[in-house]
Amino acid sequence: MRKTKKSKKIVTRRDFLKGAALGTLSIALYGKDRHLFAKTSGGAAAFGAENPQSTVVLIRNEKAIGAGDAINPAIVQEMIDAALKEFSGEQDAAKAWAKFIRSEDTVGVKFTRCGWMRVHTEQPVIDAIVKRVGEAGVARDRIIAQDGGMPFAKCTALINVPTVKVHTLTGIAVSLKNYINFAPEPSKYHAPSTNLGEIYLLPEVKGKTRLIIVDMLRPYFGPGPQINPLHRWNYHGIMIGTDPVAIDTVCLKICQVKRKLFKGEEWPITPPPEFISYADKNLKLGTSDPTKIKLVKLGWDKDVLI
Amino acid sequence: MSKSRRQENEISSSASIFASILPQEISGWKKSQQDQVYGRENIFDYIDGGGEIYLAYDFQFVFVREFAKGDAPMIVVEIYQMSSSEDAFGVFTQDTDGDDVKLGQGAIYAAGLLRFWQEKIFVRIMADKETPEAKSTVMKLGEMIAAATPQEGTRPGLISALPSEGLRPKSLRYFHTLISLNSHYFLASENIMALSPETQALLAQYEKENNRAKLLLVAYPSASQAEVACKQFAEIYLKANVQPEGKIQAKKLEDGRFSSITRKGRFLILILETEALPLCERLSQEISQKLEGQNS
Repeated sequence: MRKTKKSKKIVTRRDFLKGAALGTLSIALYGKDRHLFAKTSGGAAAFGAENPQSTVVLIRNEKAIGAGDAINPAIVQEMIDAALKEFSGEQDAAKAWAKFIRSEDTVGVKFTRCGWMRVHTEQPVIDAIVKRVGEAGVARDRIIAQDGGMPFAKCTALINVPTVKVHTLTGIAVSLKNYINFAPEPSKYHAPSTNLGEIYLLPEVKGKTRLIIVDMLRPYFGPGPQINPLHRWNYHGIMIGTDPVAIDTVCLKICQVKRKLFKGEEWPITPPPEFISYADKNLKLGTSDPTKIKLVKLGWDKDVLI
Repeated sequence: MSKSRRQENEISSSASIFASILPQEISGWKKSQQDQVYGRENIFDYIDGGGEIYLAYDFQFVFVREFAKGDAPMIVVEIYQMSSSEDAFGVFTQDTDGDDVKLGQGAIYAAGLLRFWQEKIFVRIMADKETPEAKSTVMKLGEMIAAATPQEGTRPGLISALPSEGLRPKSLRYFHTLISLNSHYFLASENIMALSPETQALLAQYEKENNRAKLLLVAYPSASQAEVACKQFAEIYLKANVQPEGKIQAKKLEDGRFSSITRKGRFLILILETEALPLCERLSQEISQKLEGQNS
């Protein structure tokens, strides 16, 4: 990395090739991961940490999406319950939800419904979450499922429910990007977006996120800015965790692998989502180091890509 | 009349032409809401978090009409008015994945989405889901717009400097600024190539004799600006010094590929990456020759 006269660091593509940029996140973008996928003598394996800093559960079900891309609500409910039981270590779905939501909470279910990009959180995913939050004892009028205009200040608990989109300005949009409309000036975080994770630390947001439930049923891996339907694929997945940095890192890797498969050659996500490593190194919101993440995979394994 | 008022009037006049080109109803799809028009000032009301890509070109406004038909997929027509045909072509090259179709001056269709450019417009027509009926209607709408835009625009003249042999189909990208370069190829976090609305840039991929190369060709307003950018790229990216004649030796990158930069007057020829050193040198030489006499 070089510095300009004003001492601003310039990160170049060569820094990624050397593995010197964005720390271990480089492996998700530039394939510098062979040594990490092979288990090292220290026991560190990418997304297979034995003593993890963060755990992420990915569940997939072939029947989650039917003809005409119709989402099966019952299967989605089953997937979320099963993933949450695994994540929480509980055998019973109600007990699993009770670990994260209290009956006295006011719960914001923050989904994404970007009108122009059209990669929305699927309604069955939102419905399944709202249903379980209600069953956890939260009155319906204290469950606020919304995208724009969410009154997050009055929420005592937030459930972050993003989709997965490769994004032309930020690189990728998953859990960190999903809170962008909580910021007083959202456009400030589009490009460059290094400090996107700051939104997680706003006084009215900080510490409220109890769960992240990612709708990975139909992610988007194309260049944008608007959607090209050719770049959307049925992945049939739901991902659950509490570490937004780890979740974004896993999703980045999956999208990167998908892009390479689609083109049949390297097609790095660009611009590099520097905000993920910044959220790790500077904001301490979680880990972007694949060797510190334990990815638990459940269900359908075909074309899981990770 | 103020400049902004005059622009508003021009937009309103052009938008009304688009409104008259498009039908109120087609194949059972009916106009479902009032037409929308967004200019440079309010593009983010329509594309919040993506409008920057259009603003990086000489985008004037976008006209939007939506069609609905019961449970059938919604169809959205977007006509982007640019102030030059070169930039209409440039926006079209932002994403070229899909099947070529014969429409306008270049068109691509993919899974319910039709994109084409003609004269100074770039058109996107998308059905929420692809069905045979929706595809047919999308194509009909495209044909209507193309037929009502009889004039042809010119592609960027800079393209003539590229050798045609070995140029990978659909790899060409035309743009001006860093935000566009970064959306296609990450070179650096800062604007080391000194790209600006006044620069013209082409990204292209070549495949020759089983070797591949990615190149960036930039035209600057002046030779002195090209010289500054050349020096920055050489020092910051290649970590090399520029010789007085503006050429440096190709450098081997960390992945074993080669990269080089050559200045030809107000033009810079960058081979961003290639496995083969001879291809690197040959492409630079061929483009240099084609650029002879284009320095004015």
